Amino acid sequence: MSSPPQTNVQGKNMQHLDEMTILLYLERQLDRARAAEVSAHTQECGTCRTLLRALERESRLLTRAMLEEEEPLPARIASFQQSARRTLQWIWMLTFGLAATGVYALYTSYIEPVQSHLQDAGFGGTNLLGLLIFQGAFWKGWQSMISLVEILALIVIGGSALLLFRRWFRRGMLAALLVTGMCGAMMMPSNAAAIETRKGESIEIAKSETVKGDLLLTGNRIVIDGTVDGDVYAFGQDIEVNGHITGDLLTGAQTVRVPGIIDGNIRAFVNTLIIPGSVGRNVMTWSQTFNLDSGGTIGRSVLTFCQTFGLEGKVGGDVTLFDQTTRITGSVNGSIDARGEMLTVKKTAAVTGPIKFEGETEPRVEDGAKLQAGAINFTKHSSKDRNENLRSYYLHRLLWTSSFILYGLVMIWLMPKFAGDCFKSAENAGASVGIGVLAGISLPFAAGLVCFTFVGLPLGILGVLLWLVMIFSGQIVFGGLIGRWILGRTEDVWGRVGRMALGMGIIGVVVPILHQIPVAEFLFKLVVMAWGFGAIALVLYKRIARTPSVPVPPPLAA
Amino acid sequence: MNAPGTAEASEAIARARAGDSEAWGDLYREYAPAIFRFCRRALATREDAEDATTEVFMKVRDKLHQYDSTRPFTSWLYKVAANHCWDLLRRRRIRQDKETEDLETLPLEHPDANQLEQLIEKRTSEEVRKALDALPTRARMALVLRYYSDMSYDEIADALGVRRAFVGVVLLRARHELRQALEGSGALAAGGAG
Repeated sequence: MSSPPQTNVQGKNMQHLDEMTILLYLERQLDRARAAEVSAHTQECGTCRTLLRALERESRLLTRAMLEEEEPLPARIASFQQSARRTLQWIWMLTFGLAATGVYALYTSYIEPVQSHLQDAGFGGTNLLGLLIFQGAFWKGWQSMISLVEILALIVIGGSALLLFRRWFRRGMLAALLVTGMCGAMMMPSNAAAIETRKGESIEIAKSETVKGDLLLTGNRIVIDGTVDGDVYAFGQDIEVNGHITGDLLTGAQTVRVPGIIDGNIRAFVNTLIIPGSVGRNVMTWSQTFNLDSGGTIGRSVLTFCQTFGLEGKVGGDVTLFDQTTRITGSVNGSIDARGEMLTVKKTAAVTGPIKFEGETEPRVEDGAKLQAGAINFTKHSSKDRNENLRSYYLHRLLWTSSFILYGLVMIWLMPKFAGDCFKSAENAGASVGIGVLAGISLPFAAGLVCFTFVGLPLGILGVLLWLVMIFSGQIVFGGLIGRWILGRTEDVWGRVGRMALGMGIIGVVVPILHQIPVAEFLFKLVVMAWGFGAIALVLYKRIARTPSVPVPPPLAA
Repeated sequence: MNAPGTAEASEAIARARAGDSEAWGDLYREYAPAIFRFCRRALATREDAEDATTEVFMKVRDKLHQYDSTRPFTSWLYKVAANHCWDLLRRRRIRQDKETEDLETLPLEHPDANQLEQLIEKRTSEEVRKALDALPTRARMALVLRYYSDMSYDEIADALGVRRAFVGVVLLRARHELRQALEGSGALAAGGAG
């Protein structure tokens, strides 16, 4: 202590220390020499010693009084952690719940009734997405889809329980439990399906043999003469089904021949598919040659991506064709929607529904062909038209990509930190895509609900607008992510713009390539949008979570 | 360190600095009660203390990278809290600048130690807290910084914006005012002994 007042005070018999000096001594603020003097004095002077003790007790009383917790902590401070967790849990539960409910409601409200009506009306439902997603061996029907919703619900409940009790789990343990739970859930269907596997150069299910349950067959030559009471997944060079399959046939092979009976669907990725026998439900095939022989029947719809398709037998539902050459000599109890170079309808053909054909040459219809819905609705697509269409498409893609780059440039320039955070967040692929899918589905639903509930239309519309902006901005974020993958990270605004432009350019090249493959372009865009959407949603959540209006500071930005 | 719950959590701090939100939560859970009580002692109302606690942790979050990990975290935390509360009082024009003028005029006296002993003996912690609430802000803040946060004289000088040499004077004056408030008279503060 440099120069506080240290004058001694005159007592009755001796000079006493002043209170300031004793306090400074007590608080160890005196230099060593002065402290020694004070110490020596208090040894001799009872009055000063008493004052020293009194001041010491006063200090203790002050400390004790201030440290005592006489009133409880405010609830908003004491319960911050719990409430923050609860909030987070509710957000996740709500999101999962909305997503699951949304998917299920979408199916039960729209898809299922339409499908049912179509089936009742004799239409097999030849919509490509419908066939891919809602029917057949891919999903094994909506029974499986309902199971999926149930599994999702179980995961939500399990995940919520883990979140609720996460204070008892270390983070690694929590992650491990979640992964284990999800793996367990994924294993459930396969356990339930009880697939029997058979491998070998040549596999034969003898005529007298009956296999109960699903069957996975891999071999060079596969012959099924017997009965399989379930689905068959067969992969080999030559496959022949002479017997009876009560479920579906999912196959990849050089040649597949089905003289026998399949009660379910056929999904084939083959070079040659020949069906002289009977298929109870639908057929979908990617093949070079597909022939439905004269004795062959397909109960419901047909969807083909072939070079040559010969329809000589009977089809009970609609037919959708993306074939180069199609020849129809058999009967179709439904409509035909065909695209390709050539369509020939022979005199023996009989078609109950309308026929549409888009191709380069006019369809050839022989006299005697029974077309109950009248003449074929033909749309001519010449090579020139196609080239023009292609040019128009590429020009459209170029303008689209350019406008996205411009939009991205403006966004990055206006919000460089936010854009940087989004690109960084997108690197977390799992979380981004997952949240993108869930939030992408749930946000419009939530917005719709809000419109009809308590907050009203403006907020709902705002929600939808936000959703649209995020959907479009998501592509920018994904573009930026690709740029980061290639050129590395940068904090520079123009560096980010450059990376985003590079990424968008790559997307601009990839999309037209995928355009040639049915569905691929759609799926790619879906993933891109979900990925970017999720990354933005993550950043927004972190930003909202750390706004000052929250009672106590939320987590640090990642 | 007098304040409760001040076990250093350097690992949590390091993780919080790296952006680990879980670690930030741990830090908050560990230190928020002590900071709230500090604010409660320094500020007039419970509501003010709640708001201040929130704001202090906002500041801590933003300034965490400035924290020198070789020094005790609690000291740094209290320093941020002290600065914040003092700024808050200044903004509300509660601080009384004239108090500075009085620093030089503290009488050098030797109070009656026995009387002081009796006063300390008679008063409860609750009465002391009530008396603290009645003190002028600088006096209250000085006592809180010293006897709740265990701040050094240098840190108190820095927080209150006075010269270090006068920290002792501020504290002693604050004690006198506290005694006055406890006693309801100036007998002890004025010094009864001769």
